[in-house]
Amino acid sequence: MPSRKKKILEERSRRWRRMERWAQGWAIYKKNFLGRIGLVLLSIFVLMALASFIPPLVDPMYKPMSGVDPEITASTGPSFRHWLGTDFMGRDLFSQLLAGARVAFTVGIASAFVSIVLGTLIGMTAGYMGGWTDTLLMRTADIIMVMPTLLVVLILAALFGQLNIWSIVLIIALFRWPGVSRVIRAQTLTLKERPFIDAARVAGASHLRILFRHIMPNVLPLSFLYMTFRVTAAINIEAALAFLGFGDPGTVSWGMMLQWVWKTGYMFKAPYWLLPPGICISLITLSFYLLGRAMDEVLDPRLRKEGERY
Amino acid sequence: MTSKLKKILVLGVVTAGLFPAMTVFGGSNPVHYLKAGLSEEPKTLNIWLASDRWSLSVLSQIYQGLITRHPETLELTPWLAEDLPVYDPETLSYTVTLRDAKWSDGSPLTAQDVAFTANLIKEFKIPRHFDRWSFVKAIEVLDPKTVRFVLETPMAIFLSRTLATPIVSKKEWEPVAQNARNAEKPLTALINHEIKTPVGNGPFSVKEWKEGAYLFMTRNPHFFGSGQKIGGRVMGPFIDGIIFKFFGTSDAAILSLKKGDIDMFWWSVQAGYIEDLQKDPKITLFKNERSAMYYMGFNLRKPPFDDAVLRRAVAILIDKGFIVTRILQGDGARMDSVVPAGNKFYYCPPDTVWGEGLSRQERVKAAWWLLKEAGYSWKTPPVNDAGAVVKGRHIRLPDGTPMEGFTILTPPADYDPLRAMSGTIIQEWLREFGMPASAKPMAFGSLIDQVKVRREFDAFILAYGKLSLDPDWIRSFFHSRHDKVRGLNMSGYHNPEFDRISDESATVMDENQRRERVCRMQKILMRDLPYIPLYTPKMIEAVRNDRFSGWVNTLEGIGNPWSFCVLKPEAP
Repeated sequence: MPSRKKKILEERSRRWRRMERWAQGWAIYKKNFLGRIGLVLLSIFVLMALASFIPPLVDPMYKPMSGVDPEITASTGPSFRHWLGTDFMGRDLFSQLLAGARVAFTVGIASAFVSIVLGTLIGMTAGYMGGWTDTLLMRTADIIMVMPTLLVVLILAALFGQLNIWSIVLIIALFRWPGVSRVIRAQTLTLKERPFIDAARVAGASHLRILFRHIMPNVLPLSFLYMTFRVTAAINIEAALAFLGFGDPGTVSWGMMLQWVWKTGYMFKAPYWLLPPGICISLITLSFYLLGRAMDEVLDPRLRKEGERY
Repeated sequence: MTSKLKKILVLGVVTAGLFPAMTVFGGSNPVHYLKAGLSEEPKTLNIWLASDRWSLSVLSQIYQGLITRHPETLELTPWLAEDLPVYDPETLSYTVTLRDAKWSDGSPLTAQDVAFTANLIKEFKIPRHFDRWSFVKAIEVLDPKTVRFVLETPMAIFLSRTLATPIVSKKEWEPVAQNARNAEKPLTALINHEIKTPVGNGPFSVKEWKEGAYLFMTRNPHFFGSGQKIGGRVMGPFIDGIIFKFFGTSDAAILSLKKGDIDMFWWSVQAGYIEDLQKDPKITLFKNERSAMYYMGFNLRKPPFDDAVLRRAVAILIDKGFIVTRILQGDGARMDSVVPAGNKFYYCPPDTVWGEGLSRQERVKAAWWLLKEAGYSWKTPPVNDAGAVVKGRHIRLPDGTPMEGFTILTPPADYDPLRAMSGTIIQEWLREFGMPASAKPMAFGSLIDQVKVRREFDAFILAYGKLSLDPDWIRSFFHSRHDKVRGLNMSGYHNPEFDRISDESATVMDENQRRERVCRMQKILMRDLPYIPLYTPKMIEAVRNDRFSGWVNTLEGIGNPWSFCVLKPEAP
């Protein structure tokens, strides 16, 4: 079966080329100092999120929401028993901080993923189809883009009561796709004029096949690049919502920790309570931003130094 | 620019610069304005519309009732009335003689004003007031200083509640009432009447209200109490006015207090600020009991909380001691009856205090046993075969259907962090038991709308502050007659036995007999649990002690008309 053998060889060669591209990309990424910092920071937060399941197993008092130290009934500073101290009820702040990392990843990645999927699909469709479809989709994007996400979520929370974490994720995603769709549309406009698209069209490929088989693989790297920036925005919005008292009361997020320290009057008295969640929000958003910048360099040869362009 | 014009401009600038100083020093005699911080701006100065705490705080300086409570003994004390009313059991009437009093515009306050106020409330059925007047058959003006109230039936609340109604000026409100009568919706027209500088009979009257900035009140020179000895105190006011400033957050208000920008913060101080404020020698903290009930209410009109057994299980699972010690930081007391324990005469300890003295594990076991006996089941019971407490999952109702997710509505954390936090903790306790509970803080107005108007809710955490010492409000909150849209019976509680006893309690004039009925009402409520009383917080208020002294401590704190009538400036 020579044709089957040929196919297998082609597949292997494709995989090899893909791995080679990854290796090249990683080589470029490694050289970026800020990218390395971003990756290290992100790894720390991933470890924190994974470790968040451990404290409640050690002792029920380390449950971030309902666990309290039976011997402590007020906010206390760091100790061997409570590495970051306790909040006003005697709950362990370190456990809350770890749980906050989990919530940040959940909100950040989930809403960024949904917004990227939406943005990519809409951008591709608008760019490829053109005409009234393009106009309709892009004007919709323009309308949504100018809406202040935080304000809209606050109004929705005021109207319908507190939103749960998945509603917040969905709303953030629904308001953050237009930026991505504009970039993907621009990329699709250049791609659809390329000869390989013409060739596919002449060969009788359907619009859907052209979109998903030929255009999508070429815009996906760009989508994932934008996903890192969307994660940052989503984490910030969730933290702001929680800080203002509109977060999900069933979850312990960093924004929620900041709200508790503020509302209970410990804002200027308990730096061990105030600073960690604030620093974590800053660092996790910074890590995603640095990751995005470094990936930008990997994907865009124009940003690389002379001699590193492939 | 001509030199003359320049002179005028310079003079204008200098005058503008000096004006604030002139108002403060007022020539040779310095004037003393108390600067009080409110956490929010009053919504209205229309006494018939006001229901928010901030409006009522301001209005309590403007409108006074015939009778009040003594700050220490809490006994009924004549206020606008010269003496306590004279009761004639034969005609079921009370006769009240007024003090020599004037309105803030200088016109005399007469029995006509009192009769007008009562008739206005009865005619328009003004919410929050009508219940106190519905049983008054006639109001007769005997002479300019004497008025007689004829009752349909004897009513225990007449003295303490009805006669505490703020009296308004007939001269000011008669034209408003006349216009309202001609409107399509008279009550709406009356309560929506905009009023900026009401004519009052209290110690202060509104001089200027700059919305969003401040509300300025000056001493009412015609205040009936000035120079009089009432309740053992010589009344002032001895200060020249009050400037109310509005703060969105406690942080800003506390900071202003510490800096001396305000003299008093008229709101309960959060636990986190207390230690810091105690260290400041220029600040004094007052801790007072409150006549308040913070409670968890249920919707009894639909499953799952139409089942009293389930409500009892929830009551067992709620650790009130935890809430008081941890969330209130000890500044409050647990409630085991709907009447606060501080109301010593009417408070009756219940026969059963649900979950009293139990540990968390014991609570879970007790609640599990109670529900299991009633036919509830779980996919994973909260108590396993070995008798150990585990995380319960998927509780099922006695008919085998899974319990649907339910929400516990609470005010948002920026309105009341303690209630919001209590809701979250209760949610966690119920979830660990296998109940699909979700705390849902929502804007206060929306919450009230959902509970009282749309009546679409499962459970909620709300509070009644400033509960009258006369417990007639129990009848209002739980009588089936009040289970209606916007009614006070928010849970939809129906119990004919309770209705009968509560109606009796309203008409029994003998205090001991009345107490016996009120006790029976409390016991019924603690058995049926339409509400689970949670706690009564303490009122902790902070004032500066370098400018004014003489605050009067009483139930509900120092922000009371007694304080403002006797407060004196500190000697420079």
